[in-house]
Amino acid sequence: MRGNDVKRYGLLALALLFVGIYLFPLYWMYVTALKSNSEIFAIPPTFWPRDPQWIVMDVWQRMKMDVYLRNSLIIAFGVTVIVTMTGTGCAYVLARIRNRWMDAVLFTVLMMQVLPSSLMITPIFVVFNQVGLSEYPRLSVILAQAAKVLPLYIVLCRATFLQVPKELEEAARVDGNSRVGAFLTIIVPLARNGILVTSVLIFLQSFGEYVYSRSLITQRALQPATVGLQSFMGPNSSDWAGVMTYSAIYVTPILIVFVLLQRQIVSGLTSGALK
Amino acid sequence: MTYQIELENINKYYGGYHALRDISLGIEPGEFVALVGPSGCGKSTLLRTIAGLEGISGGTLRIAGETVNDRAPRERDLAMVFQSYALYPHMTVRRNLTYSMRLKRRSKADMERSVEEIARITGLESLLDRYPRELSGGQRQRVAMGRAIIREPKAFLFDEPLSNLDAALRVHMRSEVRQLHNRLNATSVYVTHDQIEAMTMADRVVVMRAGVVEQMGAPLDLYDRPCNRFVAGFIGSPAMNFVDGIIREDGVSVRLDLPGEAVLRFAGARPAGETVTVGFRPEHLSVTMAATGGNILSLPVGFVERTGSTSYVLSSTTPEILLSVPERFPKEQGSVNAQIAPELVHLFSKEDGTALL
Ligand SMILES: Nc1ncnc2c1ncn2[C@@H]1O[C@H](COP(=O)(O)OP(=O)(O)OP(=O)(O)O)[C@@H](O)[C@H]1O
Ligand SMILES: [Mg+2]
Repeated sequence: MRGNDVKRYGLLALALLFVGIYLFPLYWMYVTALKSNSEIFAIPPTFWPRDPQWIVMDVWQRMKMDVYLRNSLIIAFGVTVIVTMTGTGCAYVLARIRNRWMDAVLFTVLMMQVLPSSLMITPIFVVFNQVGLSEYPRLSVILAQAAKVLPLYIVLCRATFLQVPKELEEAARVDGNSRVGAFLTIIVPLARNGILVTSVLIFLQSFGEYVYSRSLITQRALQPATVGLQSFMGPNSSDWAGVMTYSAIYVTPILIVFVLLQRQIVSGLTSGALK
Repeated sequence: MTYQIELENINKYYGGYHALRDISLGIEPGEFVALVGPSGCGKSTLLRTIAGLEGISGGTLRIAGETVNDRAPRERDLAMVFQSYALYPHMTVRRNLTYSMRLKRRSKADMERSVEEIARITGLESLLDRYPRELSGGQRQRVAMGRAIIREPKAFLFDEPLSNLDAALRVHMRSEVRQLHNRLNATSVYVTHDQIEAMTMADRVVVMRAGVVEQMGAPLDLYDRPCNRFVAGFIGSPAMNFVDGIIREDGVSVRLDLPGEAVLRFAGARPAGETVTVGFRPEHLSVTMAATGGNILSLPVGFVERTGSTSYVLSSTTPEILLSVPERFPKEQGSVNAQIAPELVHLFSKEDGTALL
C-alpha cells in the first residue's frame, strides 16, 4: 500500500519534471518577449520580467507579419486540401483490401515518410524548375509539402477506417447505393472525427513548414512566417525580444487550437473514432 | 415457370480455395428457403454471391429470369439483413429505414407513409427518432428487418439474423419473421447454422457442407429420408445414433457392433455380409418391458439426464447410444430395453455415407 503510494508520487514527480523540461523553452520564449534588451542578458537571469514591455504591435507592423502569416495560412490550407482530397480514398482502399500487395504498398508509403525534406529538396527543385513550377513558388511549396505529409495522413486515416465495419458499406450497396456513394454517405461520416483530427495535424505541420519554403520561395512577399523569422537574423542584430515576440505571435494560435482540440486529437489518434 | 432466384452451377474461389462447388438451386416466388450447414461451409458466401457482394467465379445467377452475374448489388433489387444488423450508426431509426428511398429520391409524403406502415408492422413507432446505439438488441433486429421490408425487393436475404438474440426472443422472432414472409408474400433465402430454425421456418431446407449442397428438400423429408450420413446427423436434435453393423444372411436385418445379441430388422433388403453404418434417432427408440421380440436393443445405462418433460438416457456402450424418453426415467435403473420400428432404421454406406434404403 505505502510502497504503491511512493511509486505513484515518484512517477508523478518524474512526469512533472519532464513536462517542465519540455515546456521551459516555450515559457522562456514568452518571458523573453516581455523583457527589455538589457534584462535579457542580465545575470542572474530573471524568471519574471521586472519591467514588462509590450511590443507586439510594433513587431507586427515592422515585420509585416500579416503578409507572412497570410502566406503561411495559404500554404497550410492548400496542403490540407490536397492531402485530404487525395489521401482519404487511398487510406480507405488500404484499410479495406488486405493482401500481400497492399502490405507492400503500405510499406512503400511509410518509407516515403522517412525521407527528410532537406534530402528531397534538391531533386524537387530541379524538377519544378524544369516543368516551370518555379513561376508559382507557393504552389510549389504546397505540392512538395503535400507529398511530404501525405503518407502520414494515409497511415493515420487508415487506422480510423479500419474501425468502421465493412458490413455498413455492404448494407448501403445492397440498399441501392454505389461504392462511391456508400463511401461518401456512410463511411466518411463515421470516420469524420479521425479525418478531421488528422487534417488538423497536417494543417499545423504545414503551418510550420520551413525547408521547402526557404528553398523554393525567393520573393519576400510570398514567404511564410517561418522564413520571415530569418530576417531578424542579420549579422549585427540582437533584437531577441523582437524575435521572441514574433515567435509568440506565430505560435500562440497553434497552441490555442491544440489545447481546444486536445481531447479529440488524443482520442482520434488512439481509438474510439466511431460514435 | 420462372424462378425468382436461380443458381446454375455456381462456383466461387477465394484465391486457391474453392468455397462454392457447382451449386444449382431454383427458388420459386414466395418460397422460404433456409441454408444450413456447419460453420465455414459457405452459407454466407453463397448469400453474398446472390447479393452481388462477392463476384461469381463460374456459373449463372438469374433473378426473376434475368442473368445478373455482372450486375452491381444495387442493380439486383434485393434486400439483405446482416447478422450484425449493420444499422447506420449516425442515422436515426427513421433515416435508417428511409435510406434506400432517399437514394431513389422518393417524395417526402411517400416516405412518411412507408415509414408509418413499417413502424406499425415492426412495432417501432415510439423509437423512430432514436439512434441505433440507444436500442436493445431485439429492437435493432426489428430496425434491420424494417429497413429490408420497406424496400419491397425482389427477394430477402437473411444472414443469421437471429443469432445475436437471447433464446426466448429468438423463438419469438422465428415465428414473426415467418409471418412477415407470409404477409408480404416475399421470396426469402435464410442462412442459419441452427437446424431447428431452418426446420421450423422454411418451406425448403438446403443442407450444405464444405461448399457443396448435400441435400435439399422439405424439412420433414430431410428428417425422414436423409440422403447421406452427414444430413442424417445434422438434421434432428438430439443427433441420430450411428453404429457399425453387418447385414445378416437373411438380407433384411443387420447385426450391430454392440455387445449382446443386437440385431435390428430394417425395411428393405441389402446383400448379406455387407458392412454398413446403422442410424436411428434417439426419439424413435421407445422403452419397453419386453426383453426379447421384434427389434429390441438391450442396453446398459451409463448416464441419465432429466429435463422435466424428457429424459435423455445414454448407454455405457461404445459407441454410446442415446435414447430420448418422453417421461421421467429412474436414475438408478441399470439397463434399458429399447424398441424401434424397422421403417425407422437407416442404413448408410460405410465408404461414402450415402443412404442405402
Ligand atoms: N474473403 C475471403 N477470403 C478467403 N476465404 C474466405 C473469405 N470469406 C470466406 N472465406 C472462406 O470461405 C469459407 C466459407 O465461409 P462462409 O463465411 O461462407 O462460412 P459460413 O458457412 O457462413 O460459416 P458461419 O456459419 O461460421 O458464418 C470459409 O472456409 C472461409 O474461410
Ligand atoms: Mg456466415
